[in-house]
Amino acid sequence: MERPELEVRDLKLFSGQRPLIDIQEFKLRKGECLVLFGPNGSGKSTFLRILSFLQTPDSGEIYYQGERACKHNRRRLSLKTVLLLQKPVFFSGTVRENLLSGLKFRGISQSEHKSRLEKAVSLFHLEEFLERSPDELSGGERQRVHLARAFILEPEFLFLDEPFNGLDVHYREKLMADFYRIRRLTGVTTILVTHTREEALYLADRIAVMLEGRIVQTGTPEEISTAPATPEVSRLMGQEILVEGVVESSDGGLLQIKTHGQSVRAFGNQSEGERVLLTFRPEEVILAAERPVTSVRNWFYAEIQEIRRSDRMFLVVLECGFRLKAFVSRSSVEELQLQPGKKVWAGVKASAVNTWPGGAVEEFNTR
Amino acid sequence: MNPGEILEITWLSLAVSGSAVLLSMVAGLPLAIFLYFRNFPGKKLVVALINTGMGLPPVVVGLFVALIFWRSGPLGFLQLMYTPAAMVIAQFIIAFPLVAGISLAAFQQVDPEILLQARALGASGFQLVKVLLKESRMGQLAAIIAAFGAVISEVGAVLMVGGNLKGYTRVLTTAIVQETRMGNFRSAVWMALILLALSFTVNWFLTSIQQKGANRWKDRSWK
Repeated sequence: MERPELEVRDLKLFSGQRPLIDIQEFKLRKGECLVLFGPNGSGKSTFLRILSFLQTPDSGEIYYQGERACKHNRRRLSLKTVLLLQKPVFFSGTVRENLLSGLKFRGISQSEHKSRLEKAVSLFHLEEFLERSPDELSGGERQRVHLARAFILEPEFLFLDEPFNGLDVHYREKLMADFYRIRRLTGVTTILVTHTREEALYLADRIAVMLEGRIVQTGTPEEISTAPATPEVSRLMGQEILVEGVVESSDGGLLQIKTHGQSVRAFGNQSEGERVLLTFRPEEVILAAERPVTSVRNWFYAEIQEIRRSDRMFLVVLECGFRLKAFVSRSSVEELQLQPGKKVWAGVKASAVNTWPGGAVEEFNTR
Repeated sequence: MNPGEILEITWLSLAVSGSAVLLSMVAGLPLAIFLYFRNFPGKKLVVALINTGMGLPPVVVGLFVALIFWRSGPLGFLQLMYTPAAMVIAQFIIAFPLVAGISLAAFQQVDPEILLQARALGASGFQLVKVLLKESRMGQLAAIIAAFGAVISEVGAVLMVGGNLKGYTRVLTTAIVQETRMGNFRSAVWMALILLALSFTVNWFLTSIQQKGANRWKDRSWK
């Protein structure tokens, strides 16, 4: 296997006794965009700060292109990287001065300033902002300038901390698409931190899921979505429904699980009598007025508790002994005349149900 | 008092107070930078002492400087007592805590994320200090304005260590005291007006630099 561009071994950072970062192994490949994905407070930003030498870990090794980082080469290695902090802060002066500041810091020759500036300005469409103060720009425009001042430095490693945070949906999608295009064009090796699933799935070549300072799973977006390693990862990837149950029978991997007075069919390798957690995506749940005759194995007669208008769909919260959520379209809501209090059939395929070794489910159910 | 004499006194006031402020910047800014970037045991005490120094009564400063430079004092051999140099030293002691203390407060007002971002964009230690100075320039000008205002207007320290010697250590404030005592209200008022004008001119100049771009938040369409 080719040498990783960036490698981390046994990295640890403590706050008192509590580990903030505990990463056994982490590898970054040349040219890839790795999305560091996890909830707020999971240590993603801290990890990026350690990689950029802004924060010193308690122990561990970092290798940039095979060279182990130590205090003697720290400055030189740090110049291979650019980290953009989550909050776009600017120096006083115009957008032009802000874009050039990094070049000046790095001692890049004056003769190159003009060509780099022109390139960054055209890539990020900054022509009209150049002589204005960043304070006068909108949030989205500021974020655009923020990104441009990283790309203008043409770093070997780009570390971005939630670069699309706090933008309105329209601008966010536009900036994300621009970023995707520009990153492909430049091929810069990137780590992007986000807690938004949509960003992770769209931008990542690989996703590393981070929870409580640890990287719990690394893989392609497809791998992480379809085969999450733990119930937590599965929930982060949108499998919001978690129910606890006990395996009643197992027939060649097809399990029958008893849970809250219902019987659920699912595939898994657990054996009879074992406690399991069940997860499935709200998108996988279908609703019907009458129980249809289909290949779907699991049908629950459920009462609608609540209907929430979501981004493009409606989220229907149902009760059938346990809480069930389903995403349905507007037309489904109208056709089935869904309303709180009404009872409907909710179906989910056995293959869409994930099973996990049993554990406490309370913390998930209360959400 | 003839105009030539008044001009000479005015010039000495400006030279003594200007030198004192300049020296206090040379010493106070690096101290403030050091205190901003470094943590060490006793730092809080140092900052508390500086903040206390901002309110030093000029007569107390005059007294201590006189004790030090008096013929029998520890630095008496330098023979600085009743010279403009002693006046500069006394005013420096008054101005120094003001420059260091207000500059440090100004540094602490700068969003730390700005420095972190500068670091992450590749700034060296020296460049980081430059960013800090640039981002806190309003506060530093406030420090200079405060320091200059304090020393140009003080009379106790310069009188005690300068002695108000005619043609040698007489400055505007000590001359005003002298003329008033002698009942020469006309020249006293003239010199008071000159002192005010001088103070205003210097502060006008400093304020114009400070307030450049200070009202960026204002929507221009309000005008």
